[in-house]
Amino acid sequence: MPPASVMGMPRQPSSESDIDTTWNYLQHGITRIMTNLHEGIDLATYMGIYTAVHNFCTSQKASGFALSNHPLGSNQRGAHLLGEELYKKLSEYLCDHLRALVAESKAHADEALLAFYIREWQRYTDAAKYIHHLFRYLNRHWVKREVDEGKKNVYDVYTLHLVQWRDVLFQQVSGKVVDAVLKLVEKQRSGETIEHNQIKQVVDSFVSLGLEEGDSSKTTLEVYRYHFERPFLEATMAFYQNESKQYVAENSVVEYMKKAEARLAEEEERVKLYLHPDIAIPLKKACNQVLIADHSNILRDEFQVLLDNDREEDMARMYSLLSRIPDGLDPLRTKFETHVRNAGLAAVAKVASDAEKLEPKVYVDALLEVHAQYQGLVKRAFRDEPEFTRSLDNACREFVNRNEVCKSGSNKSPELLAKYTDVLLRKSSTGVEDAELENTLVQIMTVFKYIEDKDVFQKFYSRMLARRLVHSNSSSDDAETSMISKLKEACGFEYTNKLQRMFQDMQISKDLNAGFREHLQTLDKGKGLDSTYSILGTSFWPLTAPNTNFNPPEEVAADCERFTRFYKNKHEGRKLTWLWQLCKGEVKANYVRNSKMPYTFQVSIYQMAILLLFNDKDTHTYDEIASTTQLNPDALDPSLGILLKAKVLNLDSGSAAKLGPGAVFSLNYDFKNKKYRVNLNVGMKSETKQEEVETNKTIEEDRKLLLQSAIVRIMKARKRMKHQQLVSETINQIRGRFVPKVGDIKKCIEILLDKEYLERLDDDDLGYLA
Amino acid sequence: MATDKSTQRVHLQSNEGMVIEVDRVVAERSMLIKNLIEDLGDEAIENQAIPIPNVNDPVLRKVVEWCEHHRNDAQTTADDDNDNRKKTTDIDEWDQKFMQVDQEMLFEIILAANYLDIKALLDVGCKTVANMIKGKSPEEIRKTFNITNDFTPEEEEQIRRENEWAEDR
Repeated sequence: MPPASVMGMPRQPSSESDIDTTWNYLQHGITRIMTNLHEGIDLATYMGIYTAVHNFCTSQKASGFALSNHPLGSNQRGAHLLGEELYKKLSEYLCDHLRALVAESKAHADEALLAFYIREWQRYTDAAKYIHHLFRYLNRHWVKREVDEGKKNVYDVYTLHLVQWRDVLFQQVSGKVVDAVLKLVEKQRSGETIEHNQIKQVVDSFVSLGLEEGDSSKTTLEVYRYHFERPFLEATMAFYQNESKQYVAENSVVEYMKKAEARLAEEEERVKLYLHPDIAIPLKKACNQVLIADHSNILRDEFQVLLDNDREEDMARMYSLLSRIPDGLDPLRTKFETHVRNAGLAAVAKVASDAEKLEPKVYVDALLEVHAQYQGLVKRAFRDEPEFTRSLDNACREFVNRNEVCKSGSNKSPELLAKYTDVLLRKSSTGVEDAELENTLVQIMTVFKYIEDKDVFQKFYSRMLARRLVHSNSSSDDAETSMISKLKEACGFEYTNKLQRMFQDMQISKDLNAGFREHLQTLDKGKGLDSTYSILGTSFWPLTAPNTNFNPPEEVAADCERFTRFYKNKHEGRKLTWLWQLCKGEVKANYVRNSKMPYTFQVSIYQMAILLLFNDKDTHTYDEIASTTQLNPDALDPSLGILLKAKVLNLDSGSAAKLGPGAVFSLNYDFKNKKYRVNLNVGMKSETKQEEVETNKTIEEDRKLLLQSAIVRIMKARKRMKHQQLVSETINQIRGRFVPKVGDIKKCIEILLDKEYLERLDDDDLGYLA
Repeated sequence: MATDKSTQRVHLQSNEGMVIEVDRVVAERSMLIKNLIEDLGDEAIENQAIPIPNVNDPVLRKVVEWCEHHRNDAQTTADDDNDNRKKTTDIDEWDQKFMQVDQEMLFEIILAANYLDIKALLDVGCKTVANMIKGKSPEEIRKTFNITNDFTPEEEEQIRRENEWAEDR
């Protein structure tokens, strides 16, 4: 046993020294490290401290108590690791050191306290790293054993430093430190420049103190969250609550939005600059709450004002603000939808002052203009968001289908759209560039997509296409094909099937005419008529046979006869019906005096038949003409009317002054016109009007058929179905064409029951009868 | 730092005053030395020998020899050493030869490795001792390590009975 020598000035303890001697030496070194590290530690001291710890822990004779005389006792201690006293001493030392710091901290406040905290934290943790290394032998053996055995509250030496800091100093001063930080942040928020590095260091220190219970090698954010994040968020909310309340009271909403936007960006920047990333989301949430959600009502109220004044930039700002809070945008979408609908209705009302004379182009342009304007807004201010696009679509569908013009009839929109398309696709004097035409067709499709009664559009479109094809005054085949393929893309194959067949018929007819001409040449029947025939499939073309008898002129009849034979030879069993009302031709007027060149009249076949009569004599009575041509007055009168109006024929003054039975017509030899080609085959207003009425009438009929076929299709697939279910399924299938009424569907089901396509089963079920 | 780590030399001084100069990587096989250089900085060891108060000349020389040979070994990390090294008493050939020293020296090396915190060397030392014990009867072990039997025959019999289950048959 070594002499318990007195060691006034600590000298390196020998390997036999007891705890007090050893600690006396160690404490001296540790104090130097704690307080004077910047002066450096020499090699001998460093090695001395390490060695003293090692020697103490490996000494056989244990703690300061005299137990060494018991051999058995020392044997047992062989398996026991020494170090507990050392650990306790160190722990107490740290506790004392930190208590002194707490006392010292009381002299400081605010920024000075921050500086003090950071300085001491830095010094303390630097020292902790040293001491951790110097006590490594203790860590490796005694601490490791204790931890392995599951002892709580024993940590490696570095962690012990942190634990002591947390338990002794932090508990006492953290509140004041955080207050100082918050004051500093508030200063910065009020526009002052601050030393934000300090805050970052404090935050880092708080984070380091989050030690996981049970496994001190891991850290948690618990301490940081509780002591820093929570008060920071509270202070932030309080600050912005105050600020925004005041700002809103003194400034316009638009100004406030700018302010809020700037503040939000500032807070995001603050996280990057000196806060822990963990706070980013809760901080954003807190700011969103006080800066946006708390003021969302006045923001939304302002939206209508912005819409009315086209303040695109401010709307974009509002969008981006409100998109940050849950359900922030829904009220905007509703307002936007209403606004667009009203804008559309107003635009239509403006052009619809005289609905009867409304130009299709003016109407469609009005619709398009509103759509384009708000689509642009959605794109630029609302980031093309699908929800806003949906609101736009809803609004457009509303004002396209239910507006001032449609009041007279819900079919008006598709009708006008089809007519506008016809205007575009018809040959016209004002030549349109191909690219421009294509563009306009794309726009037509924009409106088309909103049209609910797509079947009405189809009806009108096919009639007008038929007319363009028969009269071959389509502006270009490419444009026609392009339009049909667009419709096909939008509504499917079935929708455009007939349109495509009409196109095909025209192509087939072209080949047929070439064949017929060759055939005539082989016959060598002299000079016949220069004729062209179009063969139109009855089921594809929206055309009906003429409602008058007609006796074609001899020359024409002969050619028709030859063609009929030629055609029947080719296609046995087919029936040809002549659509005289669509036939036209040209006649040369060789009789006119005072003209070097003969005039050419473009006429309908009816007019031709009338004019050819005057080859025999110069004067004919109305009744003569009627009986020879076999035309009924409905067809004859308008034809004659135009010839009179153009002064090709004159009404004899002696006869009845009015067109009709008793009138006498004579050829006008003094006919004069600026042009040598005179078009007398001009469409009559009443005719197109009548066609419109007819078209609208067929729509109702066709809808019934469409509904019935849909019902049958569904029932064929399902065999058995509830009534209600069948109705809703039918609506689903038909919606692409038009919006069916439930009453109509029910009627159609009744019809099918009567026709025994369906049967009633028990429990409101319907069954399919094959 | 001003000096290049790879070429830097470190001076180690035994408790008998002898100084050995080695490459820094060799010295850093000892965690103690490694931490010391990390804490005090490169300059601190530039012109000064590091005193190693618990190790004498021959042992320090022996330890340095081992460190030189193993200078390029991967540093074992705290995690993976726990399982793997315990499972095997295999020792590589060079280390076996290195450990062919008298018992006194063997224990000195083990103590030095423990003190200097050179885990791999400590392992090799302990495995060597383990191999000396393996397969021997208690009497043989006593003889090998020069231990006097302080059990009474009764005590011995009781211990034998208690540990019967572990005997290798």
